[in-house]
Amino acid sequence: MMNRIIPQDDFPNAWDAGVGNYLSRQFERDLQHQLENYRLGLKALEAESQAFAGKGFTQLDASSQDVILSRLEAGQVTLSWLMNPTEFFRMVIEHVMEGYYSDPGNGGNRDSIAWQMIGFESHE
Amino acid sequence: MMRYDVIIVGAGAGGGVAAGVLAEAGKRVLLLERGGQLSFEHDPHDHLRHQRYSRYGHNAGPDIHGNPRVRVDAQGQTRIIQPHEDGYQNNAATVGGGTRVYGAQAWRFLPQDFRMASLYGIPAGSSLADWPISYADLEPYYERTEWELGVAGDGVASARHWPRRTGFPMPPLPVNKQGQVLRAGASRLGWETLPIPALINTTPYNARSACIQCQHCVGFTCPVDAKNGTHNTSIARALATGLCDLVTHAMVVRINTETSGHVSGVSYYDRDAQLQSVDAEAVICAGGAVETARLLLNSSSPQHPNGLGNQHDQVGRHLQGHYYPAAIGLMSEPVYDGVGPGISTAMIQFNHGNRGVLGGAMLADEFIELPVIFWARQLPPDLPRWGMANKRFMRENYTRVMRVTGPVQEIPSPDARVTLDPSVRDRWGMSVARLSGTTHMETVRTAAFMFERARELLQASGAIRVWGQPPGLYLSGGQHQAGTCRMGNDPHTSVVDQWGRVHGHDNLFVTDGSVHVTNGGFNPVLTILALAFRAAEHIVKDW
Repeated sequence: MMNRIIPQDDFPNAWDAGVGNYLSRQFERDLQHQLENYRLGLKALEAESQAFAGKGFTQLDASSQDVILSRLEAGQVTLSWLMNPTEFFRMVIEHVMEGYYSDPGNGGNRDSIAWQMIGFESHE
Repeated sequence: MMRYDVIIVGAGAGGGVAAGVLAEAGKRVLLLERGGQLSFEHDPHDHLRHQRYSRYGHNAGPDIHGNPRVRVDAQGQTRIIQPHEDGYQNNAATVGGGTRVYGAQAWRFLPQDFRMASLYGIPAGSSLADWPISYADLEPYYERTEWELGVAGDGVASARHWPRRTGFPMPPLPVNKQGQVLRAGASRLGWETLPIPALINTTPYNARSACIQCQHCVGFTCPVDAKNGTHNTSIARALATGLCDLVTHAMVVRINTETSGHVSGVSYYDRDAQLQSVDAEAVICAGGAVETARLLLNSSSPQHPNGLGNQHDQVGRHLQGHYYPAAIGLMSEPVYDGVGPGISTAMIQFNHGNRGVLGGAMLADEFIELPVIFWARQLPPDLPRWGMANKRFMRENYTRVMRVTGPVQEIPSPDARVTLDPSVRDRWGMSVARLSGTTHMETVRTAAFMFERARELLQASGAIRVWGQPPGLYLSGGQHQAGTCRMGNDPHTSVVDQWGRVHGHDNLFVTDGSVHVTNGGFNPVLTILALAFRAAEHIVKDW
């Protein structure tokens, strides 16, 4: 999921830039209270994927994953969710962006790769 | 029991200056600060925990646990808010206060800013008023602040708008690429630009080094101690006298009074959560416009059942900050060259004299924007929030986007106010600040006008697309919070006199933004600092 939020091009996707590491640290710190929501949300995403596409989310190709995520974003879900799917997806997007673009001290943005990508801290 | 000449509550801008003046005049000073010391070594420049982006906390405090406030919305619904959440109106809690981590813009208010009611009349529903002092009264103290703390600026350009006796001690900040592009755009419009004065060393000054033009200025401690706050100037000087005791992690919960209204001292919880009471000849409140009002209200007594200085229900009213209408422009070429702090260029021709609106704002370029804030706040509204299109925009356009904004002088409302919440308590068991009301609608109108000027400037500067929208009606305060103990000659409509002395209390003073009658169309810190010099000098003369 996070690698569809920030996919790979010639710069790394979310996972390869350390967003997973950012999140695992935050689940022990500021996002402890969201861990259960993540479990429920990812489980619901898996069920949604099965219901909509007949496969688990991770078995889908990238463009099919994007279709499912776009539907989540628009609140178009097939199953009944325990949470608001749009809000769940928005929350995950925000956390992924925090891990990718904030300072490496927070556990993501490995070797300041996101900053190199966009030009922050660079000089002409 | 230990006895001091003066107890100062809050070691920020106003409290820090007062400590320096009083200790150097030979007074024994106790400077109490609810926060701790923040050092560069212990400030990891955390992009998710600072005043501009406090997703999970604040590097400069306060602690997000045990310091709630209550917000009342337009429908009367209440919500408990923590310090890092929207609507809290946070101000730093650390030695130096906001000056420890600020962007350090060092503006004087204009002569007109002290006469807003006379200039514009008083709109219905507003508590707009003139100051009891003029620009000329404050000018010597602006000058003193600029030289004692250290301001970099262009004295010739400044003197075209502000009567001033001297120039600045240091030349202005470098003009980076965005500043050059905006200056060219302003020139096309026939708008005058001037360098932004800043409390930042552009040459070595006060035995500290010059700015190294890094990209982490506003929100963070300076890596080379080139940013001038009270922590490295007036508080350092106060401590050097040996007459000032600085106590951190000291939460003042009460100002103690005698029946006459004469103040005897304060009570505070120390770092070990022990209640301490200390006596003094005078007490100065400098905790910021929200906390100072709260402390006065929390210090009620049988003789002062509504709180100190509040016999006419003025404490906590007229809360104001600044509206910041921002236009964001996409340029065809990169405008980012990495030269920090980023700000260099301002326009002040729209601060007054605008047809159909009251007052106005200074417009300026921006500090270097942190990437995560850029993602959260600066992207075009129609851009997908995720996926390859989002990543591509970040890659291609972080260096091509710039933002123009400025602080709109608010038209105050008496209903924008701080009161005590009847049920919610902080970790020390004290009633917390309850924030209600909004600014006056005239502020919204002025902000909409300024948004159009910002858009115009970006377009004239070559923007291929401009977005953003003017703000609606809300309550602003934040680090520019002001007005809750405003100064005036009439105790029925003000809380302190022109020297910061609380009406009805001969030895109780306020020296923070609370005393501002109006808040200028500028960053207010230089005015807070100058007023504190003036008030503290008067306390010494009057001793």
